[in-house]
Amino acid sequence: MISNKADVIAQDKNWPEVLAVLPLNLRKIITGVRPEILCRVEEIRIRALRPLMLGLDSGDIMLTEGGGLADSILKAYIVGEEEVERCLQLISGSSIYALEEEIRNGFITILGGHRVGLTGKAVLDQGKVKTIKYFSGINIRISREITGSARSLMPRIVDREGGTIHHTMIFSPPRCGKTTVLRDAIRIISDGAPEYGLPGQAVGLVDERSEIAGCYRGIPRRNIGIRTDVLDGCPKAEGMVMLLRSMGPSVIATDEIGRAEDVRALEEVLNAGVRVIFTVHGSSLEELAARPALNYLFRLNMIDRYVLLGRDLKAGLVKGVFDRKSIFENGVAL
Amino acid sequence: MLVTAGGVAGMMVAREYAKRPGELKSLLSAIQMLETEIMYTATPMAEAMERVSTGADQRVAGFFRDAALDLRSTAGRTAGEAWETAMERFYPRCSLSRGDMSILGNLGRALGRSDREDQAKHLRLASEQIRMEIIKSEEEAAKNTKMWNYLGFCGALAAVIILY
Repeated sequence: MISNKADVIAQDKNWPEVLAVLPLNLRKIITGVRPEILCRVEEIRIRALRPLMLGLDSGDIMLTEGGGLADSILKAYIVGEEEVERCLQLISGSSIYALEEEIRNGFITILGGHRVGLTGKAVLDQGKVKTIKYFSGINIRISREITGSARSLMPRIVDREGGTIHHTMIFSPPRCGKTTVLRDAIRIISDGAPEYGLPGQAVGLVDERSEIAGCYRGIPRRNIGIRTDVLDGCPKAEGMVMLLRSMGPSVIATDEIGRAEDVRALEEVLNAGVRVIFTVHGSSLEELAARPALNYLFRLNMIDRYVLLGRDLKAGLVKGVFDRKSIFENGVAL
Repeated sequence: MLVTAGGVAGMMVAREYAKRPGELKSLLSAIQMLETEIMYTATPMAEAMERVSTGADQRVAGFFRDAALDLRSTAGRTAGEAWETAMERFYPRCSLSRGDMSILGNLGRALGRSDREDQAKHLRLASEQIRMEIIKSEEEAAKNTKMWNYLGFCGALAAVIILY
């Protein structure tokens, strides 16, 4: 599995990027947190007029003004309204106007591929969210590049005869490491893994939210392998078809399939003989099959491996692998 | 000699008055460039300011360069603050009035904090105000230039007459 040391190093690289978007006083508090806690941080939660919190793998903690643990709300550092506003300005590089689409979707991806979720007052235009104003809540999710997190997954999805991978769906509830595992799997597929008899494949990656490759100005900043072409910020459905036509990939990868148009595009890719690997939100096969778009995907019955991730000990743990037949014994009803 | 000195002094004061409309015009065109960057290409603020500084008239380019550099530093500064600091450095070096600076200041406080539509309103308001100031400053300049040119010369002449 993953050694602890590698884990810490991977995160050390992340902190400067994350700290750069925090107002100075919050930066000071967070740098005051003990390193053994800092390396377990998954989220930083900044809510106006409420305590500053860190989300750890084991739950959340409140911080005191000096960066220590606050055991009660009275000792906790309370985030001011002005700090939330300032944080948002730093996150956007004082360019809210350049992030209208992202704000409409409720999150911004910052340098390093970290996702920042936003809440506030929604402004509507003809019943649709036009933008958000009066921002009050910010959640910075620290994206981890954990080299080796897909090691336990790889032997289950490699198609040794074909010298490629099986069509694979990775699914789990949120915060189980889907994106982390997918990123590492893409890296291994792209670089090739002789130990599984897998030569390097040209991978086409549609990274709609810049979370997988962590692109900054179009260039991947995370290790996603030497044969990976990334369409950054592109809608999945369109992107998959574009890659199929333009880059001649052997494998197409994408994150969070769920809408009907995504599934239709996926079908086109499947019919083109290109292998796919993608993630889906959901905690059980039963739940997935209940969603119309995904039910259609089950009906196609073209996906060979359904991988369930869990977070019993550590995010990214493979809890179960199902194939075309066993899904029907495990809750999929068409 | 006194007359020449007085005349030259008067002309120098007059030249100061003539500078302001020119600076206001280059500021106006720089703000319009910034508006284009924000509205049509949605360029991030730091980059937008940099681009303006390379394209703008050299009289105001330094101001935008300062603001961009400040914003790029990871010292946790917002565009409004970077703008404000750049203004403080710019003011002693320029011929703009306090009123002109307050137009700039108001724009700075709104910069980068809202969506495109709202940014456009602030940028257009500032442009409009600067346009008004240009007209006013040109009238003033025409009046004052003439006045100071004469005043320097005549004042010196008067001094000569009184002295002798």
